[in-house]
Amino acid sequence: MKLDDLKKNAKEDINKATLIKELESVRIKYLGRKGSLTNILHSIGDFPKEDRPLIGQTANKLKREITNLLEEKKKYLEESRALEWEDLSLPGRKTSKGSLHPLTILSQEIIDIFMSMGFSVVRGPEIETEYYNFNALNTPEDHPARDLHDTFYLKDGRLLRTHTSPVQIRTLEKHSPPLRIISPGRCYRVDTFDPTHSPTFVQIEGLWVDYDVSMSDLFGTLELFTKKIFGEGIRTEFLPGYFPFTEPSAEVWIQCPFCDGKGCSVCHSGLIEILGAGMVHPNILKNLGYSEFTGFAFGLGVDRIAMIKYNINDIRLFYQNDIQFLNQFNEIKL
Amino acid sequence: MKLNYNWLCEWVEIDMSPEDLASLLCNLGIEVEEVELISSDAIFNLDINPNRPDLLCIQGIAREVAVRTKKELKKTIDFSITEEKESYSQPELRITIESKDDCPRYVASVIGNLKVGPSPLFISERLEKCGIRSINNVVDITNYVLLEIGQPLHAFDYEKVGNEIIIRRAKNGETISTLEEEEKRLSDLDLIIANKSKPIAIAGIMGGELSGINESTNTIVLESAFFKPPLIRKTSRRLNLSTESSYRFERTADIGIQKTASLYAVHLLKKYASGKMINSIIDTNPNPPLSRKVPFSWKRASALIGTPINHKVVLEIFHRLGFQEKGNNDDLTIVTPSFRRDIQIEEDLVEEIARFIGYNNITTRFEYQTGTSVYFEGKEILQIKRLMASLGFYEALNIPFIESSWAKNHRDNPIELKNPMWSDKNLLRTTLLPGLISNIERNLNRGINQVSVFEIGRVFNKAKDEEEMIAATMAGNIPQIWYEEERSIDFYDMKGIVETLLKELHISDFDFSNCRDPFYKKERALALIINNQSAGCFGLLAFNPCKEDIYGFEFKLEQLFLASDKSIQLKKMYRFPPVKRDLSIVLNKETPYERIKDLIKSINNLDIQVNLIDVYKDSSIGKDKKSLTIRLELYHPEKTLTEEEIEKDIENIINRLSKVGAHLRK
Ligand SMILES: [Zn+2]
Repeated sequence: MKLDDLKKNAKEDINKATLIKELESVRIKYLGRKGSLTNILHSIGDFPKEDRPLIGQTANKLKREITNLLEEKKKYLEESRALEWEDLSLPGRKTSKGSLHPLTILSQEIIDIFMSMGFSVVRGPEIETEYYNFNALNTPEDHPARDLHDTFYLKDGRLLRTHTSPVQIRTLEKHSPPLRIISPGRCYRVDTFDPTHSPTFVQIEGLWVDYDVSMSDLFGTLELFTKKIFGEGIRTEFLPGYFPFTEPSAEVWIQCPFCDGKGCSVCHSGLIEILGAGMVHPNILKNLGYSEFTGFAFGLGVDRIAMIKYNINDIRLFYQNDIQFLNQFNEIKL
Repeated sequence: MKLNYNWLCEWVEIDMSPEDLASLLCNLGIEVEEVELISSDAIFNLDINPNRPDLLCIQGIAREVAVRTKKELKKTIDFSITEEKESYSQPELRITIESKDDCPRYVASVIGNLKVGPSPLFISERLEKCGIRSINNVVDITNYVLLEIGQPLHAFDYEKVGNEIIIRRAKNGETISTLEEEEKRLSDLDLIIANKSKPIAIAGIMGGELSGINESTNTIVLESAFFKPPLIRKTSRRLNLSTESSYRFERTADIGIQKTASLYAVHLLKKYASGKMINSIIDTNPNPPLSRKVPFSWKRASALIGTPINHKVVLEIFHRLGFQEKGNNDDLTIVTPSFRRDIQIEEDLVEEIARFIGYNNITTRFEYQTGTSVYFEGKEILQIKRLMASLGFYEALNIPFIESSWAKNHRDNPIELKNPMWSDKNLLRTTLLPGLISNIERNLNRGINQVSVFEIGRVFNKAKDEEEMIAATMAGNIPQIWYEEERSIDFYDMKGIVETLLKELHISDFDFSNCRDPFYKKERALALIINNQSAGCFGLLAFNPCKEDIYGFEFKLEQLFLASDKSIQLKKMYRFPPVKRDLSIVLNKETPYERIKDLIKSINNLDIQVNLIDVYKDSSIGKDKKSLTIRLELYHPEKTLTEEEIEKDIENIINRLSKVGAHLRK
C-alpha cells in the first residue's frame, strides 16, 4: 500500500539525516506544500468513499508520527551538534619542540640580571696565550697560584683559557674605564670527568672599573645578584679568599638551599660557595695605565650554580646531552 | 693541611668548641674542609691559600686565632741558651753556597751522640694525627718542628756526608737516588745539596738514599735553610716530587726562622734522642732582612673598603698582627714581620683590616643607574639558539676533544693538545659533527625515536685558530600518530630546517651546489654558497655508527651573520585574488625541479607563485621519467584575469617547459 511505503521511506530519510537542514528537506518532501503526504491528504477525494475515513485517519496519524519523528530527530541533532561529532579528547597535532641547554638558559638569566645592573656583555677567544690567561692577571710563571688552574696546553705553547678573565684584559686594552662588563664563555681545566669534576665548564666573569669603586660596591652588587638568582630570602655571606688577580679577595657563600642552612652532605655547615671575587689587583690596572681607577671583579661557574639551583648531582649530565635530561629545561622567559 | 686541636691549644687559649673554632677560621679566610672529632681531640682539615705559607703550621694558625680573639700567644720558641757547643771532638763542617741567590740562608748544626730509636708517644701520635708516618725519633723531630713552626728541616748522616756540604746546581745528567729509592736524573735547573763527590739531596724537596738516618746513625748534620721558591717549584713539578718540605719552600718560607728552628730541633734531640751539640751552629746569613715597609693611607684604605674605618680599631689589629706603624697624619709606613711575606702593598693591609673587622660587617651598596646603555655581544647567537629550539632541536654542549681518526679525512689542520686528558682524544675538534653524531647514537640507543640536536660552539684549526660554527644532526623516525603515518627523517626534513634558518636570518642571496665535503654522502648533500663562498654543507652524513641515517649540517656562523640582511623592503601586494591552476608535467628524471620553477617564474609580465604539490615516479610514464604536479598562482596587479588570458599564459608556460623536454601528462 502506498501509505506504508511512504511511512517506510520517511523513516529512512529521517534516520539518514545528519544535519538539521537535511531534516528540513525531509519535512518539505513529505509534509511541505507539495509534499507527498500533503498530496495524499489533498487528493483524498479521489479515493472510494468507503475508504476515505480510514485513509484520512491513517494519513493524519502518519502526519503526526512523521512530525514527532522529525521533532525528536531535530532535538537529538541539536544536542549532539554541541559535540560536533568530534572526539575532542584525541591528542592535538604536535609542532616539534626542542629546548635550549640548561647552561644556556641559566647563563642568559645571569646575563639579564647583570645587564639590568648596567653591565655589557663581551666575548673572547678560547685559545689564549700565557700572557692573557696568567701574566697579565698578576700570575707569573712559577706562581704557586698556578696550581689552582690545571691548564690544557697546546703543542705550540698556547693554552685553552682556564677562565674568561683574559677577556677583561683584552677589553681594558681597547676601552678605557669607567666600564662594567661581563664575559661569559666556555673554559677548560685538566680534571677528571666524574660527578663533581669536568674538563670543561661555563664561566661568567664580571668587571667594574671606575673612580672609587669599593668593597661595599662589590658586596652590594653580588648580594643583589644572589637575591635575584636564588630569591629575596637567601642569606649571603662574604668570606676572605685568595686570587692572584684580586686584593682584597673574597668568596661568596649562600645559605644552603638543600638544608636551609642547617647543614647537610652538600654544604659546609649550612653554606655553599658560589662565587669568587675581589678588588682588581692594582698591578693589573697599573700595567694597563689605569692607576687612577679602582675596580672589582668576580667569577662564577654556571655549571655549579645550575647544580645548586636545579638540584643536579652529576656535572657530567651537562655534557652527555641526553634528551631525557635536556627536555626538562624549558625557557620560560623569552 | 691537617691541624691538631689540642696542639693548637698549647699555643693559644681557646674557649670555644672545635665547631665554633672552625667557623672562626672560615671567617678569617682559612677554609676548614672537615672537622674530625676523635677522643678528646679534633683534627681540622684546612685548605690554606697559596699566599699564606705562614699558616702551614700550628704557630701560624695560633697567631690568627690570637689576633681574632684578642689573646696573647701562650708559647714562644726561644732556645738561644742551648747554642753553646758541648763537645769539640769532631772535625769542622764547611758549608759552601755557589749562588746566594739560589739559597739566601743555610743554617747547619752537627749533633752527635744520638740514640736513634722510636719516638716518644706524644710525638709519634701528633705526627700521625697530622698525617705523617712516624719513622724514628730523629726524623720525627724534624717533622715535628716543621708542623709546629713551619720550617722544613733535613737530617743527614754525618759519617756518610763528610765534613763538606755544597749547595749548587746539579750538573746536566747527574743522578740521585732518593729516600724513596727512585733514581732521578737532574739538570742545571735543579738545586742540590752535595758533598765533595756527589749529590746528597734535592734541595728543599727530598734527601738522598745515601745519607739517610738509620739505627746505626750516631751524628747528624741538621739542615735548616731558605731556598729560592721558584727554583724548588720548577724542580718539584719537573720531577713530579711534592713533599711537605717542597710545598712550604715553593710558597716562600720565613727567612727569619731558620736558626730558631734549628735550636728548637736541637733542644728536642737532646731531650728525646740523647743528642749533643758538637759544633757551633753555622749560619750563612745571620742577619737576614726581617721586615718590609709598606706605605699606607687611611684615606685610600677607607675608600677601598667603602666605609669609614676606626683608626684605633685598625691600629690594634695591626699591632696584634705584629705590624708597626711609622709616621703620622694620612701617610703612614707599616712595618711588617718576616713571617708575613704576603703583605707587599697597601691593598694587602686593607685585606687584613677587612678580615679582622669581618667581611660581613662591611656595608653593602648598589644603586641602579638610569640611562646607561649596555651592549650584548652574542645576542644573535642566543636568537639562533632559540630558533633552533623552536624548530624541534635540543641544544647540546660537547667536550671539544676528538680522536685523530676524525681529523684524518678532514681538510683542516687540527690543533694538538700537549697534555690531553684522554690520550686517544688529543685533538681540538675541527668540526662540531663528531660530538653531535655521538649524541644521536646515545639517544637512539636509549630508545628515543627521533633525535634532533644542535650545537653552537668553536671549532679549531691551525689556519684560523678558532671559528664559531652552528651544526645540527637529526635521525630516527617520526612515529605514527592518528593523523599521520610513520616515516623516517629524510633529506628534505634537513633541507627544510636549513631553508627556515636562512629565512629567519633574512638571508636571501644564497645558492645550493654540489657538496664535496667527505663528511657527507654527496648524492644526498648540498653545499650552501653565500657570496661565492661555501658556508658549509648539509645532508646525509657519511660516517655513521648507527643503523639509522643521520642527517646534519654545519655552517660558519660569521658568514651567516654577514649575509643576514635585516633591512625590510616591502613587496607588492595584490588587491585581486590569484587564479589557481594545477599542471601535471612529465619530464626527464634528472631535470631538477628548481629549473622548472625558474623557467615558469621568468615569464615577465606575470607574478607567479609556484608550489610543488606532488612528485610521481612510475614505469607507466617511462623508465627515466618523473611526473611533477605544480600548483600555479597567477597574480595580476590591476584586474582579475579572464579565462582567455589564463589559457594564453598557461600555453606560454607549457611552451617554455617543452624546451627542457617537459610536456603535459596525458
Ligand atoms: Zn646543606
